[in-house]
Amino acid sequence: MSSKVCKNCGSSDIDVDHARGDAVCMGCGSVLEDNIIVSEVEFVETGGGGSLAVGQFVSAEDGARHPSFGDGHFSGMGKASRAQTLQRAKQHISIVGNQLQMNQHHMDTALNFYKMALIKHLTRGRKASHVIAACIYMVCRTEGTPHMLLDLSDIVQVNVYVLGRTFLVLARELCINAPAIDPCLYIPRFAQMLEFGDKTREVSMTALRLVQRMKRDWMHTGRRPSGLCGAALLVAARLHDFRRTVKEIVNIVKVCESTLRKRLTEFEDTPTSQLTIEEFMKVDLDQECDPPCYTAGLKKKKVQQLEIEIKKKMDDVEGEIQEYQEEIDAELESSRPKLRGVYAAYAKGDLENDDENNILSMSSKLVDDEEPEDEDELRAVAKHFGKDLNELTLEALIKLEQKRPEDEEGNQEQEDDGDFPQRKAPSLAFLLGSMPSSATLGLSESISSCVTDEKENNGAADSGELDLSGINDSEIELYLLSDKEVKIKTALWMAENSTYLKEQKEKEAKIAKEKALGIYKERKPRGPNRKHAPIRANTADEAIEKMLEQKRISSKINYDVLKDLNVKPCASPARKAESPKKERPAAKLAGRNRRPAQTQLSLSTPLSTLGKRLQPFISGQPNKKLATEQIGSSNPLPLPVEAPASGVVVESGPVVYDDVPGDEEEDEEDETCVSALEMLGSNDYGCDGDYDDGF
Amino acid sequence: MDSSNDEALDIIITNVVATFRTRCHLNLRTIALEGTNVIYKPEVGKVLMKLRKPMITASIWSSGKIICTGATSEDEAKLGARRLARCLQKLGFKVRFSAFKVVNVLAVCSMPFAVNLINFTKNNRPIASYEPELHPAATYRIKNLKATIQVFSTGSLTVTGPNVQNVATAVEQVYPLLFECQKPRCK
Repeated sequence: MSSKVCKNCGSSDIDVDHARGDAVCMGCGSVLEDNIIVSEVEFVETGGGGSLAVGQFVSAEDGARHPSFGDGHFSGMGKASRAQTLQRAKQHISIVGNQLQMNQHHMDTALNFYKMALIKHLTRGRKASHVIAACIYMVCRTEGTPHMLLDLSDIVQVNVYVLGRTFLVLARELCINAPAIDPCLYIPRFAQMLEFGDKTREVSMTALRLVQRMKRDWMHTGRRPSGLCGAALLVAARLHDFRRTVKEIVNIVKVCESTLRKRLTEFEDTPTSQLTIEEFMKVDLDQECDPPCYTAGLKKKKVQQLEIEIKKKMDDVEGEIQEYQEEIDAELESSRPKLRGVYAAYAKGDLENDDENNILSMSSKLVDDEEPEDEDELRAVAKHFGKDLNELTLEALIKLEQKRPEDEEGNQEQEDDGDFPQRKAPSLAFLLGSMPSSATLGLSESISSCVTDEKENNGAADSGELDLSGINDSEIELYLLSDKEVKIKTALWMAENSTYLKEQKEKEAKIAKEKALGIYKERKPRGPNRKHAPIRANTADEAIEKMLEQKRISSKINYDVLKDLNVKPCASPARKAESPKKERPAAKLAGRNRRPAQTQLSLSTPLSTLGKRLQPFISGQPNKKLATEQIGSSNPLPLPVEAPASGVVVESGPVVYDDVPGDEEEDEEDETCVSALEMLGSNDYGCDGDYDDGF
Repeated sequence: MDSSNDEALDIIITNVVATFRTRCHLNLRTIALEGTNVIYKPEVGKVLMKLRKPMITASIWSSGKIICTGATSEDEAKLGARRLARCLQKLGFKVRFSAFKVVNVLAVCSMPFAVNLINFTKNNRPIASYEPELHPAATYRIKNLKATIQVFSTGSLTVTGPNVQNVATAVEQVYPLLFECQKPRCK
């Protein structure tokens, strides 16, 4: 709006009509300006008689983005999407809120929570209904309304634990500390639903006192507050002569009958239950109780301890009995007719067997049990049958074949020995040596594994070698079936899973068919993202080159040309008519960064030799581009800017010289397409001027 | 693993979960048909194999990855895993025991006092959270140890963590906080 003087007649009386967008000279009547940009609100009639305001919706929140013209369709939708989401959320919240009878303030708070969740991207991967329900519940908790999570889950038809999980995540992420639920909050609500009529208030008060008493008796930690309320209300109702059955209460409070009964019994256990009604209303006992599960736990512990004690006593008694038994046996032995010869040795063998099992009491007991009179005789006999005795004892203990060779060795040792105790000694050592290996005792595994634990090499894990120490092969074999068993099992399994097998076969047949027809679409499971190898480059140029190669940012860029750029800027062959914006910063950076290497060339060479790629830029706003490039390039080299400036056709119009090259370039890019400067600058007026000239 | 202040708290490890790889493809059907104590789940694509000696249940996938649960100590888990690998070796697969890692340890512990959960949660927001409508215990998550402790009002704790040492440290860390919020014993 510059001209205040008419070009034709020179009069300064110009009428500007904003509605029509005209500027008309009152003197000669010539139209000076047409299509002035106006900022009136226009209305358009819609089918059905309504009127709509013309214009795009621009979100107040997103702020300082430049309005896009021409290719603005998609980005315009993008901004409105956030608004749409919020709109939908608002609707849902109001639907649910109305069912819960929440007031408007609560619903607005819930919407705010939802906005916060949106900003933190917490809605991703979660059903919108879950998030909305969680936001509403958060409002209920912070404001202290008597709404339970169960109510919400009823309305939204979602599992209460799923809702709870979402709610907890939201509360944690948004750092909202919801105060703990107080069962007292629920009492008025439930009391109303129970229809006490005029006495509702009194019943509520009684129930409140009951709940407070329960709290002091630690019945409320870890329990659903609704259960406590139910119990309290039941008692309060009875106190005021209202007959409310357990079933009615269960329907309203939504806990199980057994829960209710349990709460009542727990309350019964507290001393408060012994008070009469009047006493209860007046007096508050100071004494507090332990929580009921705690007392139950203590009871259990006591019972267990008793059991242990009883067991100990029983063991003691058994021990005594055992002693008596042995003494009796010994007496019997002594009074029995003595067996001579072979049999004596065998009889002795049994005794020894028992004793040898008891390693600790071995030598002493053996000596004791020996009859002094027949000692020598027995010794001789025993020595003779030493071998057999040993075999006897050993056979009793050992079942594995491997020990047989050891047996023989041991036996050979014993034959050399003369003395009775000496004979015992090797057998003791023998037994000790053999005992750990007996699988029945089960000690072998643990002992050897203890011994070898330190020796276990951690390298085994990495090398993949299986460390077999401590693994008893034969036991492992127990885990495997024999061939016959395998056949049986196969038959059984096939019979069981026939349907599944059939399905598998059908699937394979289908795939084969599709392959034959060539339609088969291989649905490969998505593997994890392939990590690119880290780029190693000497200079920034190389780094960017390699990055571009790897990343392939845009499909419209001819990367080969980019490569050539580095080699020969003059001889760059291909020319892209329309290169998208993104290419420019990358290419620009590339080009700019390469400048320092070739500044000598660029500064002195005229525009034409800069390469066809750069020419389209040059025709537009060459001075801007080149100037900034050359400024960028001149930063490392302190060459004067005037030299390039003189070689370049300078156009009128503002040229922005900034010291921040990177960002500047990007801004420049935008500005070349869309800048208001351009619109309002001399160029357009130039165009308009053309029209005028032709008019 | 006893610790904290003067008394010794018994931390009983109830479950240790470990994973390892056999570095070879396993034919689940063979294992299912030739092993005792196996359950084949073709829908999911795994075989459950139960060992008796260390009481262990292993989930075996055909890729060769195996998850071993039910052990009561880290060493037992390793022993069980090696046994399992040996068992698979006997079945004929070229098993190599690699990448054994204890993934999760579950332990229980009991405080000699009861705990007031509401105060405990109030003092330790937001690390602790308590939702009586959902779960009777308060959950306390220690981020740097990656351990989760569930505190019940009776004073029992359930601790889960990536290894036994972390579990012990977690109990030590949480003990003073619980001590503050204990319920006075009356009876």
